[in-house]
Amino acid sequence: MGSTKKEREEMMLRIIDLARSVRERKVDPFEVEVWKLFDRLHELLPKIRDPRELYLDILAVLGLSDVVYHQGEWIKHRSSLLYFDPLLVLWKLRSLSTEELARVMLKSWHPIVGLECITPQGIREAMNYWATLPSLAERGEGLEVEEIETGKVAKEELEKLLLMERRDFTRTLDSMHEELKAAAGETGEVKYWDFIHADTFEETVKRAWLVSFLVSYGYSTLEVDPLEEEITLKPLERQQVASKGEPFSVPISISLTEWKKRRKQNA
Amino acid sequence: MPEEAKSTGPEPDEAAIRDKLSRVAQLLMFRRHRQPGAKSWELRKTLGRNYREIIDMFDREIQKIGLVVKRVTEGEEEDEDSARYYVTMKEHPVLSDRTFGWRIDDMAALTVALSYILSKRGKAPLNEVERVLQEKFPKWRVGYNIDRFIRWGYLSEDDEGMLYVGWRTRAEIDQKTLLEMLLGKEGGRRVGGRS
Repeated sequence: MGSTKKEREEMMLRIIDLARSVRERKVDPFEVEVWKLFDRLHELLPKIRDPRELYLDILAVLGLSDVVYHQGEWIKHRSSLLYFDPLLVLWKLRSLSTEELARVMLKSWHPIVGLECITPQGIREAMNYWATLPSLAERGEGLEVEEIETGKVAKEELEKLLLMERRDFTRTLDSMHEELKAAAGETGEVKYWDFIHADTFEETVKRAWLVSFLVSYGYSTLEVDPLEEEITLKPLERQQVASKGEPFSVPISISLTEWKKRRKQNA
Repeated sequence: MPEEAKSTGPEPDEAAIRDKLSRVAQLLMFRRHRQPGAKSWELRKTLGRNYREIIDMFDREIQKIGLVVKRVTEGEEEDEDSARYYVTMKEHPVLSDRTFGWRIDDMAALTVALSYILSKRGKAPLNEVERVLQEKFPKWRVGYNIDRFIRWGYLSEDDEGMLYVGWRTRAEIDQKTLLEMLLGKEGGRRVGGRS
């Protein structure tokens, strides 16, 4: 039994692995039959000739010793005042709300009181650091980076990119405003994504861009429902400029993936 | 000269004690290293062999203003050489007062992490703690919080990915009260626990 070299090695590797599981709190140390395993190792020892096997035997014995140590620790912990059933603790953690859990911490918390201060030695170190610090120009040396400045996209550029027709921009916006009002119909509102969605991704981006002007110029309101993650457009008959409150921006990301997903849904 | 020294005997003693008390205050309350507080050897070096008596006197003084000296040792043994002394609040803070810049979510996350580790005899694999936290908090916040708790000393991590209770937890958190409060609470109302 267990006489071939392969079987002996497998046996010892299993013991080493079991001991590791105990160390990592994955196995209850009392589930390991330590004496039985020591007996098995005792039987195998006279048959071992190979140094690798001897090494594994040493590791297995050390592993079993470690299991015994963890059994001792387990008893110590169970008998200490800090023992609480892990399952019960887990169940409680799941059942309590965030605020109740925060209160638990507060009730057991006694923050350290301390003051931050700088010592003469700290000042000396700071001075030395400052004195030996290379200048910004020196520090930047060796970094091969090309600086690209941001710029505005001119109307002509947009024309080149076919993002804007040759028609007057205001007329384009007016036409979009009319289209929005028609899409909103009697309900007076339309889902943002339904409105901007077009047959091509480029056209969709263009419509989103134009809608952003309608909203900015006060021809439509844009409402975001953070819970449902829905954006609604409500066109206004006449331009209205917000009279109170801070103006704010609503970034809306339009990705090709998102467009494809919506096109699939619409289909 | 000896006669003169005798006649003014008690005054220098009192002055020396007062001086030592102020030295303790400086050592314990002004942060000079990465960790606050002071090690026992630092206190012994500055205050002499009877440093614990001086600390006791200082403790009695600061208790009057709601503070207390906390002694924390490495491991469970009463090993004075490894002891570190801190000044902490005597009572716990009240949620309605202030939370010292902590978000409620983060406090709750620390409760979950610590309670789980404590219930597992003081150490638990990082991925298990993450899994438990993810039942209540967004995944991105879990990793962020664990990193911060380790950096602040509430948790510590070894090379094998095991999480332990950190030095700050031993100094600031009454671990028994934490678990008692947790198990003594029913959803929505406070039932027991030490205040």
